[in-house]
Amino acid sequence: MTAPAAFARHGAAALGLLLAWHLAAQALAGSHMLAGPLDVAVYLATHHALMGRALIVTLENAAWGFLAGNLAAVGLALIVALMPRTRVVVAAVALVVFCLPLVATGPVLRVLYGPGPGPQITLAALAVYYTSFIPLLVGLRAAPASWFDLIRLYGRGAWTAFVQIRVMAALPYLMAGLQIAAPAAFLGAMVGEFTGADRGMGVLSIRAMRGLDVEATWTIALVAATVAMLAYGAIGALAARLSPARPDILLATAPAPAKGNPMLRGLGLAMLTALVVLALWWALMEAFALSRFFAKRPDDIWRYLISAPTAAANRATLWAASVETLRLVVPGYLAGLGAGAGLAMALVLVPWIAGAVLPLAVALRSVPIVTTAPLIVLALGRDTLGTITIVAVMTFFPALVACIQGLRQAPGQALDVMRIYATGRLTQLWHAQIPAMLPAFFAAARLSVPAAILAVTVAEWLATGRGLGALMAMTASTSNYNMLWSAIVVVAVGSALGYALVAWLERAVMARVAPEQLRG
Amino acid sequence: MTRFDISRRHLMQMGLGSGGALALGTRGLRAQDTSVALQLSWLHSVQFAGSYIADERGFWAERGLSVRLDAGGPNAPVEPPVVTGTALVGVSAADYTAAAVQEGAPFRIIGVAMQNNPFAIASLPDNPVNEPKDMEGKRIGMPLANMPVLETLCTLNDVDIDQIEVIPTQYDPAPLVAGEVDCLLCWSTDLPVAMYVRGIASVTMLMADFGYTLHSQTYIATEDSLANRRADLVALMAGEVQGWEAYRADLDAATDLTLARFPDAGLDRPTQIEQARRQVPLMFSDLTDANGFGWWTDETVAQNIETLALLGMPVEASLWDRSILEEVHG
Repeated sequence: MTAPAAFARHGAAALGLLLAWHLAAQALAGSHMLAGPLDVAVYLATHHALMGRALIVTLENAAWGFLAGNLAAVGLALIVALMPRTRVVVAAVALVVFCLPLVATGPVLRVLYGPGPGPQITLAALAVYYTSFIPLLVGLRAAPASWFDLIRLYGRGAWTAFVQIRVMAALPYLMAGLQIAAPAAFLGAMVGEFTGADRGMGVLSIRAMRGLDVEATWTIALVAATVAMLAYGAIGALAARLSPARPDILLATAPAPAKGNPMLRGLGLAMLTALVVLALWWALMEAFALSRFFAKRPDDIWRYLISAPTAAANRATLWAASVETLRLVVPGYLAGLGAGAGLAMALVLVPWIAGAVLPLAVALRSVPIVTTAPLIVLALGRDTLGTITIVAVMTFFPALVACIQGLRQAPGQALDVMRIYATGRLTQLWHAQIPAMLPAFFAAARLSVPAAILAVTVAEWLATGRGLGALMAMTASTSNYNMLWSAIVVVAVGSALGYALVAWLERAVMARVAPEQLRG
Repeated sequence: MTRFDISRRHLMQMGLGSGGALALGTRGLRAQDTSVALQLSWLHSVQFAGSYIADERGFWAERGLSVRLDAGGPNAPVEPPVVTGTALVGVSAADYTAAAVQEGAPFRIIGVAMQNNPFAIASLPDNPVNEPKDMEGKRIGMPLANMPVLETLCTLNDVDIDQIEVIPTQYDPAPLVAGEVDCLLCWSTDLPVAMYVRGIASVTMLMADFGYTLHSQTYIATEDSLANRRADLVALMAGEVQGWEAYRADLDAATDLTLARFPDAGLDRPTQIEQARRQVPLMFSDLTDANGFGWWTDETVAQNIETLALLGMPVEASLWDRSILEEVHG
């Protein structure tokens, strides 16, 4: 495609989107749900100074969090690279920490830090470190053995091998992780402002939501999305300069080769992870001498849920909220994955729609859900559809990106043979490309578990007022910190279990369609 | 906070502080000020304008106190910073305070900014809720966390709660405007104001007018602070009282000050002035006219205890400690 043609096509797509948006806003006029492009333009023109100052504050916090989170990811990855035996446990603990719900960690961080940007930066860091850590783990192992032989032939040691091969090989993977991390950091910084801040995009969005200020809400969502997309593009461009060769498989970390009984191994890992997490939990609270009024220890939770006279009632409340949340998160998660994979396949069959679809997908992912969740719920209904949609939007994008990458992995020779025999596009897709896509798909499915949990709890907290998200928000405001910490435990354990379940499914499917992926 | 003062004082003793003192303005020269924090219950807005006035006009400084005003937010509970001592005083509400005390927090209520509870049922004029009975057969939007509030209102007014359809919403007027619910449980000073400013007329039924007697925007402090930091508490509350009296005297000035102080908070004047007006009758009454801002009597406390019992939070009258206010107004 020539450059002007591509430009024209993108331009037409953008114009079409704008027109659709304008018409939708016209249709919904008076409902206080959707502000049109003109309203947003007027709002921006009159409030650009305010918006600019808020953006700088939130961007600064997000940037520090982005830096801190990615440094932490690099640090963790280095630990694992230098001490490979720790890999499974470090990855599992990192996952559990990543699954801690924002609703619950926010207030604790605020008390820890006092006033200032501490919670904003920390929440931004927590939102990014895992999605950088996992690709890095893959990247550090993504070097062919022959390269190491070469280093050895030249008589150089392990350190040279590490710097010259592993670090270099990991760079493109790090970049891929950073790209996903950028919108997450912004979202983390915004939620951090909910814990008590003077200024920033999060502050403005609370104000807009309660003030029925639809123009402001949509402008905030749009500005935040634009910034996130710019960051996404900039990191992509930087990555292309630093290492023109994109990593072959973006996110896939091959499941660890199973030695011995996988059931027993899984159980052992779970126990070890639980022990490490409990120890960390306890040690952190004691180290900072956090008050038992709000910083509950594991033994408090044990009493509350197991040994206290009211334990049964407490468990029942928690169980009811968990079931309610599960009913929304599972369909949303599956719908998001399905939509991502389906769209990726559609792009293979009809490549020219990529120009219109991909920017829209990035935009959808970049809009901070704290701003749009209430509006989506209002538009689609607060019973189920609204929340399920929010979860689907959050899981859709990683699945799409991973599946596009995965579909490209289909061996060229196989496709050539099929073409020679005049095999139809659909048959090619079914027999060659989908099997090649599955490892990346499952990697995205695993990474999306925490994202789905985040989405559902935020929607419940800010919009629907039910389930675990609302329970956590309510218990924090009524000082029922035993219940809050119990809910944190449920969310973290539930996310880890979901992750393990997906990994188990992955192994079972791979064993059938791509056994070579399981070799260590 | 204290550390800051020491270093500032050191600098000045050494003759190096002139630049810093200039930069800090006149307040920087008061090296002997005690620094404390007041934890607010929500984002900065005219809701706390009395405190801003106390700060800007030096009502605290003249008492040797420097007060940091910590913003709250939707994910910022007030009680933990007060328990841990990050804040000397917090702005809570009788029900939240009672809940925290049940969970073991050593709190006392030392002042009551809102004599009347701001909880209200907001509805639209063509389908109004003018009294609790009107809620029967209607859909109400509210966070499920507020179920005890609705139950209490129904018990107090003999309303059949099974006749009301509760639709869980969060704090947002849109569901009412969009017709998803018939009425909302909210504060009379926020969502109705938002609708008013947007040109949407609404009917506001104040729950306090129908027996829901509960102190709101209560000042809380720990028993330890009451025993050991009385002077600071008295100074803080004296500044608050003076600030809120000044607020009442000139709502426009209070609003302008709020807007000037927080240019980045996304506040607009029409909303803020309207909110400032609507909270006056909640904060000031014959009782406060007779005894001073923040006051309560055994009788109002007894009514509060009754409401709290209906909410499932039994408390003793000793939760309220008037000794600080007595010193302030004494």
